Amino acid sequence: MTAATRDALRARLAPPPAGARYLTGSEFATLAAACARLLPRPGIDIAGPIDERLAAGTCDGWRYDALPPDREAYRRGMAGLDQTAQAIFGAPFTQLAPAGQDTVLSAVQGGTAPGETWQAMPADRFFEELLAEATEIFFAHPLAQEAIGYAGMADAPGWRRIGLDEREDREPAALRG
Amino acid sequence: MSARTASRLPCVAELVDAVVIGAGAGGAPLAARLAQAGLSVVVFEAGRHWDPPREFATDERAQSPLFWNDERLSAGADPVAFGRNNSGTGVGGSTLHYTAYVPRAQADDFRLRTEFGVGADWPIEHAELAPYYDEIERVLGVSGPSPYPWGPPRTPYPLPPLPLNGAAQLMQRGCAALGICTSPAANAAPSRAYHRPGIGTAPACTNRGFCQAGCSTGAKGSMDVTYIPLAVAAVAEIRANTFVTGIETDASGRVTAVVAMRDGLEERQPCRALFLCAGAVETPRLMLLNRLGRGPVGRHFMAHAGLQLWGTFDEDARPFKGMPGGLISEDTHRPADADFAGGYLLQSIGVMPVTYASQVARGRGLWGQAMLDHMQGYNHVAGINILGECLPHPDNRVELSGELDARGLPKPRIHFSAGENEQRMTAHAERTMRAIWAAAGARDIWAFPRYAHTIGTCRMGWTEDDAVVDADGRAFGHPNLVLCDNSVFPSALSVNPALTIMALSLRTADRFLKGVH
Repeated sequence: MTAATRDALRARLAPPPAGARYLTGSEFATLAAACARLLPRPGIDIAGPIDERLAAGTCDGWRYDALPPDREAYRRGMAGLDQTAQAIFGAPFTQLAPAGQDTVLSAVQGGTAPGETWQAMPADRFFEELLAEATEIFFAHPLAQEAIGYAGMADAPGWRRIGLDEREDREPAALRG
Repeated sequence: MSARTASRLPCVAELVDAVVIGAGAGGAPLAARLAQAGLSVVVFEAGRHWDPPREFATDERAQSPLFWNDERLSAGADPVAFGRNNSGTGVGGSTLHYTAYVPRAQADDFRLRTEFGVGADWPIEHAELAPYYDEIERVLGVSGPSPYPWGPPRTPYPLPPLPLNGAAQLMQRGCAALGICTSPAANAAPSRAYHRPGIGTAPACTNRGFCQAGCSTGAKGSMDVTYIPLAVAAVAEIRANTFVTGIETDASGRVTAVVAMRDGLEERQPCRALFLCAGAVETPRLMLLNRLGRGPVGRHFMAHAGLQLWGTFDEDARPFKGMPGGLISEDTHRPADADFAGGYLLQSIGVMPVTYASQVARGRGLWGQAMLDHMQGYNHVAGINILGECLPHPDNRVELSGELDARGLPKPRIHFSAGENEQRMTAHAERTMRAIWAAAGARDIWAFPRYAHTIGTCRMGWTEDDAVVDADGRAFGHPNLVLCDNSVFPSALSVNPALTIMALSLRTADRFLKGVH
């Protein structure tokens, strides 16, 4: 592994800073609860890096014109999850059991979620953006990469065995055939 | 935004012969050529000058600063993804993160209107670009098959092809079963150590497979390790971290100076000629911001049909290794059973894990346990995709939105809706690719609809009624303003654009020099 690669992965393993910098405590709790259902595996912080990005005001180069700017989209999106949760179950999102949270998320993904927010902001597009960002953060984490048998980071000597069913000694064996 | 009048700004710089905006595929070859001819040249680049061996990590998120991350608003029926999908930032531009896949356009690509009665012809011919293709391939050190199975006769590639990875072998297997001809693809990375003329020795590609997030070894033929060093050797100045905000003209339309922000300070650079090479979104954005150009500035935005088809195989494919685009077929360049104009190429594709997971999220909408389960098969995933013609439509366009960026400038909004031709071609390609992947033994096959590259917003042509620049890239109405990047393409071509942009860059420089001397 090169020094630059090691530094990038180490930084990601550092414990997340406590609390939210941009979102309110309640918005952050809703986001964390949603991310825990989108990528259900403990030990990988997703809401923290999203909040950190919103605080920094950076983005990935584009957004759907149909959505408001990211900060506003996330704020309204978290309110929307609560509205949908209230409409279906009569309780805020964070107080629902996992199955109820999944019902809310599915309704948002399908663009059928009840709630005032979704009248003005397309629920399916918001869900797509949230899911894509959460997924990218998750699978960039060394623990998630290890779990899928990814060894690309160990490329300092280069790869010679690159064909089908070829593997170098430093690579993990196949997870499944 | 402060008023930016010439009288209020200190004149910090001496008059130079040429300012080039953008250090990518459009600007770098041209900058080298002009400097070699003895012109004083300054290249403005918005991003950093990276030190890849020290700074480039094998980590997708850590490499995201290579993409053009200023926000673009994506509108229309088929909104195009930007960021890592196309433009780059940094000395080298998008070549910092291109796959190195460098097929040549075929001769008929330049005559789409003549051939099909739709789209647009180029005002220049393939034969005029062929010597420049030769030259670029020699400088970059392109590895490819000789003879090449498709297109007009050509000089051999400087290097033999790179080895095939899992995805390439699977596509070879599927295509063989269907009688589709394939070949190792041309890639701008040396298959063995290679002396780049005038630059130095490039190492052989180590099959890192991370081309789309930056090459850390110097093997990939990106501009920062090829034409930029040539430009610097000829005493061109590369001014990194410099974001151009203003272009000043006199009453006759001649460009007199460029205004830019560097390290928080505004500076003004007087010039005799300006070469605008910022790509098919930033080039028209600068034209529109500065009210430059005649003709359809910002119109005819095109993005290649880029449908990707993924499948899971019994074999271990380890899609992160080797050249992402290892295998090619151009049998579909002009399919016999086509119900559309133009054509497409087929290629095998490897993929890095974060990029793949993100596509699974957007394309399949998988989350929860279903996402985790799917990603358990990552090492068994392989893909194929197309790169297809896109017809120009005036309503597909770049415009200035009412939303301001951190610099106080309007963010660009890009409208794109695929037309019937793109839809028919994509449907044809999906049928073809599903057959190939089924024949190769794939299961859980799924398609990711996608449009890639930014093309055609300041197109070249014969008159200002229908075009923004002439065949030499000169902007109508501005005698010393030359455009050179994918914005000047009148048609999208049925191949990846990088090599043609570079060839056009050298030709544009030669045409300019001929006019000067």
